This record gives sequence, structure tokens and C-alpha cells, in this order.
Amino acid sequence: MLSARGITKEVPTAAGTLRILSGIDLEIKAGETVALVGASGSGKTTLLGLLAGLDEPSAGDIRLGGHLLTGLDEEARARVRGALVGFVFQNFQLLGSLTALENVMLPMELRGDEAPAAKARELLDRVGLGDRAGHQPRQLSGGEQQRVAIARAFAAAPRILFADEPTGNLDKDTGRRIADLLFELNREFGTTLVLVTHDPALAARCGRALTVDGGRLVEGQAALAPFGA
Amino acid sequence: MDPRLALRLLWRDWKGGELSLLLVALLLAITTVSGIAIFVDRLQGALVLESSAFLAADRRIEGNREIPEVWDAQAHELGLATARTAVFPSMVFAGDWNQLVSVKAVSEGYPLRGTLKVADQAFVPGEETNALPAPGEAWVDGRLLPSLDVSLGDEIEVGSLALEVTRVLTDEPDRGGSFFDLGPRVLMRLEDVPATGVIRPGSRVEHALLLRGEDEALARFREGLGEDFEVYYDWDDIRSGNDSIGRALERAERFLLLGGLLAVLLSGVAVALAAARYAKRQFDAVAVLKTFGTTPREIRDLYLVNLAVLGALATAAGLLLAWLVQSGLLLALKDLVPVRLPPPGVRPFVVGSVTGFVCLLAFALPPLLALQGVSPLRVIRRDLGAAEASTLGAYAAGALGSLALLVWYADSLELTGWLLLGITATSTVLLAAASVLLRTGRLVGMQAGSGWRIALAALQRRGRDNRIQILVFGLAIMLLLILYLVRTALLDEWEAQLAPDAPNHFVLNVAPYEVDEFRGLLAEREVAPQPFYPMTRGRIVAIDGEPLEDAERREVRRLTSERNLSWAEDLPAGNRIVAGQWWGAEPAVPEVSLEEEFARETGVEVGDVLTFSVADRRFDARVTNLREVDWDSMRPNFFIMVTPGALPDYAATYLSSFHLDAERKRFLNELLRAFPTVTVIEIDRVIDQLRRIVDRVTLAVEVVLVLVLAAGALVLVASVQSSMDERLREYGLLRALGAGRRRILGALVIEFGALGLFAGILAAVGAEVTVWMLQTQVFDLAGTVHPWLWLAGPVAGMCLIGILGTLSTRRVVDTPPAIVLRQTT
Repeated sequence: MLSARGITKEVPTAAGTLRILSGIDLEIKAGETVALVGASGSGKTTLLGLLAGLDEPSAGDIRLGGHLLTGLDEEARARVRGALVGFVFQNFQLLGSLTALENVMLPMELRGDEAPAAKARELLDRVGLGDRAGHQPRQLSGGEQQRVAIARAFAAAPRILFADEPTGNLDKDTGRRIADLLFELNREFGTTLVLVTHDPALAARCGRALTVDGGRLVEGQAALAPFGA
Repeated sequence: MDPRLALRLLWRDWKGGELSLLLVALLLAITTVSGIAIFVDRLQGALVLESSAFLAADRRIEGNREIPEVWDAQAHELGLATARTAVFPSMVFAGDWNQLVSVKAVSEGYPLRGTLKVADQAFVPGEETNALPAPGEAWVDGRLLPSLDVSLGDEIEVGSLALEVTRVLTDEPDRGGSFFDLGPRVLMRLEDVPATGVIRPGSRVEHALLLRGEDEALARFREGLGEDFEVYYDWDDIRSGNDSIGRALERAERFLLLGGLLAVLLSGVAVALAAARYAKRQFDAVAVLKTFGTTPREIRDLYLVNLAVLGALATAAGLLLAWLVQSGLLLALKDLVPVRLPPPGVRPFVVGSVTGFVCLLAFALPPLLALQGVSPLRVIRRDLGAAEASTLGAYAAGALGSLALLVWYADSLELTGWLLLGITATSTVLLAAASVLLRTGRLVGMQAGSGWRIALAALQRRGRDNRIQILVFGLAIMLLLILYLVRTALLDEWEAQLAPDAPNHFVLNVAPYEVDEFRGLLAEREVAPQPFYPMTRGRIVAIDGEPLEDAERREVRRLTSERNLSWAEDLPAGNRIVAGQWWGAEPAVPEVSLEEEFARETGVEVGDVLTFSVADRRFDARVTNLREVDWDSMRPNFFIMVTPGALPDYAATYLSSFHLDAERKRFLNELLRAFPTVTVIEIDRVIDQLRRIVDRVTLAVEVVLVLVLAAGALVLVASVQSSMDERLREYGLLRALGAGRRRILGALVIEFGALGLFAGILAAVGAEVTVWMLQTQVFDLAGTVHPWLWLAGPVAGMCLIGILGTLSTRRVVDTPPAIVLRQTT
């Protein structure tokens, strides 16, 4: 489903070139659930952005759902994302001027799906917000906003879902319920899931965890130890 | 992207309130510009009609020679209507009485513009008529009846022809009041003139061919007249036909144009600010759309569709609104100024629409196009915005757009040039000065209380944004000040020219021994006298001893024609020396002073010796100075003045003026009976007409000022709004950290007050310089300095921006900080 070979990411800074990631190789199979963990500033969010085709690596190849991302321009990468990818973000990223229903409809409308409103309503019911369809994001709590975001992420039936700290902005209980919902829907839709998290409990629910440390990848449960799993 | 989806997204943005400011800015841009254009177009239509009445035609050919008959035929071929007039002075007789009158003989069709007014008795208001006196009849000025002791039905003799007086003539459109057109009027038919026998070779007759028709046909007719036409004839349109009115019209048009230009600029800035804010608030939406797979090209298409729809909506609504605004305005003012305006043409609507779309393309498109460059990575890294390079492109597009609009709109490189020069120079200075002011403010703030420290630190921290904000505030205030100052200068000028007690009658031919008695009669009847000027008629026959005989050259004809000469010890009021020096108390040799334009057109310079011929005697005088004359002053003015004593032996008469109200016109008869040889020229009708025109123009000027003020206010609001999110976040944070309501409000007041103060200082400087340039270079007015501006500009800026800014951001203290922070992060 997703593979990366020799991924390096460098950014120019005032003090010279900063290497954020170096020599990353990984392979994620369809239907797998994978956690990217690591300390703040270790480069895990950068890696997520590269794997999802939001950014270009300085070196190395990424293959997503059979598409080689290397060398594609933003135009082409956008088309790959549109066909394969869904996202859930730490800060929800709902569009403030749209209602909950309209936010969920948006990806389906962009793909030109039939009857997006009915499907969006179904998904909102599924995440328990059927009665809040007409509310705008600012009228919803953080947990509710993230549920809308999850409904939106599955609306386009993506083959792979990237989640960046999906529970990072929520309290423990709400976070757990959101995680339950995320994994439940993931199973239902048979989606590949890649999530970035600080939360060892959330990481432990994934089939596999990859630790990013100083821009390099360390595979295995052992890496979770520092997080007190 | 599916256009229907784009429309749906647009509709959702509209519901969410994101589009309001941009739409209002666009709407106001189009409403203001087309409102002004519609108003000016209708007003110009009315003015041209009214002004044409001054010529009794659209164009007039005038000269002392008879006008070739073939010209009528040529004019008719081009579809022009024609009529002829001949004006000449003559004595008329009735029984034992006689009177010098000004006869106007007219052909069928006269007047081609405007109407005659007649009455059945003297000294009553007349009624409009389309008729003319029949052959054998005459219509006469009311005061001729008592002075010739005749009534309607009686006969008067013009030369050897007896004419029956059938009507009292109360008004004629082209009664221009030139010095040539003296005395009470007798209106008769042109075909009766040969029978009078008064016109012989050498007689002083002013022949005119009146023309009416389309501008294009008139222009083609003029071309067909050829080069040597100007040797003997003048081609008059309303501007050359009457200097005062022509100048008033020209200045008014320029002012309205200036107002329109400022409206265009201000609207453009408002649209740019609103669009920049809208674009900034779209960053997140675009990033999210991109994660869903929307390509940059689709993003571009999405916002292009949005802009096109917005533009179309704003244009339709703006044009409608503009029409309503100017109709409502005219309705509201209908009792104040009885204006009957012709309907507008197509141009104002085209101007409004084009302005709207250029505003969109030049000001709104660049920030929205830059959205396609927003990185989708922004969804996980908040600090990523649009590509930086777009800023320069946006400025360039805005500048080009403004320039194109200005040049197209004004069609006057002069006006646009001075305005742009003023704005560019001011912007440069403003940006540099703003940095200095901000830094100084910060240093001062370090020593000050905490409200000050917070505010001035905030100003300094957002240095780049604030420099631009000071620039925008400063420019908006400056443009408004410019318009206000130029308007005031214009109105003052007209006010002085058309003061209610300004002289409206000229008297000529007062004999030197009559002057005291004349003054006495005026005083007795409580008519305030003006100074008396001696006057004699003479012509220039040689320059530096070289005779002027080549009458084929126009400048020579101008130089050698008979003119009024006057003399004075002191420089008359309203005159200003522009070259050489006014003479001392008792100059040893005769000296002469020329009006500057007359000297320029005839090529005479200071130091030349002119030979004058006055009543068959000659004398030489050296040109020692050139004068600028205020021809709009309605006072006696002279092209040529000489030193006292230069004409000792020659008979002179005196010239003066006075003011007489319409209801006291009968006094003229008493005056003329007491001084039968005196000639009175009534220019009260010209002044009345000029006042009517100026009233209308003043109305237009005020309307334009109000509309532009609205545009300026919008710029200020848009500018405050554009920086609002960041300010709200910062002050929300301070509030969350425990800063009290009063401290935050105080800091807001200080921050915006300081911005306004800086902007006001810079606006005052910019406005002062630009207005001075405009007055002297474009409006032909004297440059003035406005010391009050130096206080008013900064104070107005401080209050205006302080209040506006604080009101807009006030909710940060009324809303719980958590909500402010949640909404702005």
C-alpha cells in the first residue's frame, strides 16, 4: 500500500541546512494499522506529511497505492490524494463557514459522488452527531468537532487514512471515545491507518509502531518503552 | 472543478459571513464610481444645454466681415441648423427723443439654443416665446419705452426705416454683455436691415453665424472652413464664448474628475484590503481542500468563478444602487436647486462596470490567485501561508490597474500625473516616516505606563503590517483632505466672484466733468459706487518703430485692432505684476503695461516701444511690465494701461461699475435721463446665469465629496478589519493572562490612536503639497497654505482611527477570551 525508500528531508534555515529525516525505509501493507511515535521534534509529523504526499522529500522514493510520488508536481500529487487518501488532524481543520453536514459532504462533492447529503447524514448518524448536522464548528465541542472530522475523513472512502495526533487536543475520556470510533470505522471500511501520536495507549492499539528518533526510524515495541507503555 | 460546486462553496462562504466585507467594498467601489459618473454625465448634459444658450447655439462663427452665404449651405449639407445675427450700435429716434441702442438683427430660426422672453409692458417678468418680430416690427428693451417716450404700437426709426414696437424684450439667451454690445436692445429682422441704410462699408457690425447639431458634424464643418478662416473670424464654443462661464465649467469638470479619480483609488484600496483579508482567511480551507485532492488548478478555477460571480453581482447591484442614490439625491434636493437633468448616457454605466472588474482583476485577483500556492502541509504546520513572491506581484497589479483606470477615466494626463506624483512621493515618505515614528513610539513606550507599553510594543511588533496600515490610513486621509481643500478653494473663488453685491452694471462714456455728479446721484439713491477708470480708444500702429500693416496675420490683427486704453497711478485691484515693475510716482517718459496673455499672443515683450494712435495722434510708450488680470472678477479690466499723463491732450471718458438689484432696474432710466450720453451695460443676466450654473456645479461638487468620503470610510474600516484577527488573538491572549478590561481598552485606544496620529501627520504633509500643486498647475487658482491642516490632520486621524479601531476590536473585552482564542486560532 505504502512504501518509502531512503527518505531524506532537509530544510534551509538561517544557520544552514537542517536535516530533519535521513534514510528512512518503510513498508506498510493494505489494511495495516501503524503508529508513528517519537519525541517532540523527532520528525514524525514531517514523515507523515511526506508519506501522505503533502510535501516532497529531499531524496528518496515514496510509493503510495502503486503511484510513485517522486517527481510528481503538486497538481498530480493532489490527484493521488483525492483518489486514495483521507486525513484526521489534531486541530480538526473543519471549515468554519460550513455546517457539520457541509463539512462531511465536501470531499464527496469534490469527487462528484451521487447524493452526498444522504451519505453525509448517514455518516454523521454513525458518529452520533445526526442531530447536530446544521451546527457550525464553533458551536461544537472539541470532541464533537473531531467526530465530524472523522466522518469527513471516511466520507470519501479512502484506501489509506493519515491521522496526526487525532486525540492530542482532547481530554482522556473523550480521546478514548474518539480512538474507539476511529478504529471501529477503520475496521468497517477496511482502511489502512497511519497515525502519529504521543499517546502510548493509542499507539498500542495499532498493529505496529514505528519510532522516529533523531530523524531515523527504529521499528518495534521496545521503542515504546520510554513512553511508559 | 464543477462550476456548480464552486457556486455552492461561494454560497456557503456568503452564509458564513466571509464575503461580506469584500462584497461591500466592491459594491461601494462600483456605486461610488458609477454614481459620480452618472451624476456628472447628467449634470454635464444640463450644463452644456444651459451654456449653449449663452451662444444661442452650439457653436458660433463671429467676425466684423459679412459671413459668406455658402457656409450656410455647407452647414445644411452636414445636417446642421443655422441662423444669422448682426449686432451694431445705432441711434434710434421717436418724435423728439433719441437714444443710442444696440440693434440685433436676426434671421428666421434664431435662437438655436435657449429662448427669448417677451412681455406686453416694461419692467415685468417676461414669458418664453418661440416667435420673432415680424418684418417691419421691433421688440425693444423695457427701459427704452420711457427713455423714447413710446408705448407698444408706436413707431421708432432705425436709420431710414420705421419699425412698429410690438413687444417688450425681457431676455435673450446670448446677451453676452461685451463692450461692443452697448445700450438697450432693439431686436429686428435681418431682412429689414438693408432698408435702414445704416450699415455701410466701415460700419462697426458684429456678424455671427449660429450653428446647432451633432458634435461630429460641427467638427467636420469647422475643418471644412480651412486655415485662413481665423484671420477674419472667431469660432466660439461655450468655453471661448464666455470666459467666466467657460473657466467655471472647466474647473468644475476637473474637480468632478478629481473626485471620481479619488473614488476609484480609494475603492481599489478597499477592495484590495478586503480581498487580502478574505484570502488570508481562506488559507486553511484551501489547505484542507488540497488534502482532499483538489489540485492547484482547481483551486484557481474555484476562486476565478467566485470572483466572476461576485463581480457580476456587485456590478448589477452597484449600478442599480448608483442610479437610486443619485435619483434619491436629486429628489431630496429638488426644492433646493430646481434641476431638470437630461437622462444619463451609457458611458457612466460602462465606467462603473469596468471599474468594478478592473478593481477585481487588479486588486482582488492577485491575493486570491496566490491561494493556489498555499501548501497542503499547512494542515499540520500552521505557519505556512501563501507564496511570498505573490506580494510583489499584487502590488504591481494594483499599481498597473490603478494607472490604467485613472488614465482611462480621467483622459487627462496632467491631472492624473500630478495626483500620482503626489501619491507616490507621499507613499515613499510615509513608509519611511512610519518606520521612524513606530520606533520612536516604542522608545517612548518603554518609559510609559503598562497600557502604553502594551500598545506601543504591539505597534512595533507588527511593524510591517502597521507601516502598510499607516500608509493606507495616511493615503485615505490625505485623499479626503485633498478633495476637501480643492473643493473649498473652488467654492471660495466662486463665492468671491459671485458675491450678492458684486457689481452687475458697467457704465461707459462718463465725461470727466460728470464724474462727481454721477457719484452724487449714485450716493443719493444709495447705490454703492466702484472706482472710476479713465478710458479712451486707440490702436497700436508700430513696434520699435516698425509699422504694423500686414493685417493677414492673426496676431497682427489682434494687436492692431482698436482697444480700450486706460491709465492709473496704482496697480488696479485684481491685477498682479508678472514681469518688469509697475511705474513709480512720476515716470519721466510714457510707459505701458500689458496683460500677460495679450503680450504673449502678440509677441510683445518688456522693453519694446509701442506706437499708439489715438484720435489721429500718435505717441510712443515703452513696455515696462506685464500684468496677470483676474478676468473673473467682474470688475473693469484692461489689456493696455499707460502712465498718467501719457495721453494729456486726448479726450477721455470714464468707466465704472455698480451693483443694482433686479427690482431697482428702473433707476437706470433716471440715470440715463440725467446723463444721456452715458452707456450702461447690464451684465446682471450673465451673472445670474453664471450663478445658476455654479449652483449646480456646487451641488455636484458636494455630492462627489460625500460619495468619496463614503469610499474613504470604507477603506478605513476595511483596513482595520484586515488586521483584526491578529489583534483579537493578541489581546485575547493578554486578557486570558489576566489583563483587565480597562487596560486592554486603553491599549486598544492608544494603539489605534497612535496609528491615526502618525497617519494624520503624514496625510497633512502630503495633502498640503499635492493641493498646492493641483491649485497652481491644474485648477489655475492661487496656491494656498493651510496652517489649520497641520493640527486638524493629526487630530482627525487620531480620533477617527482611534474610535473606528477600538469599536471594531471592542469585542475582545466583551467576549470571554477562550471564545476569542478559539475563533482566531
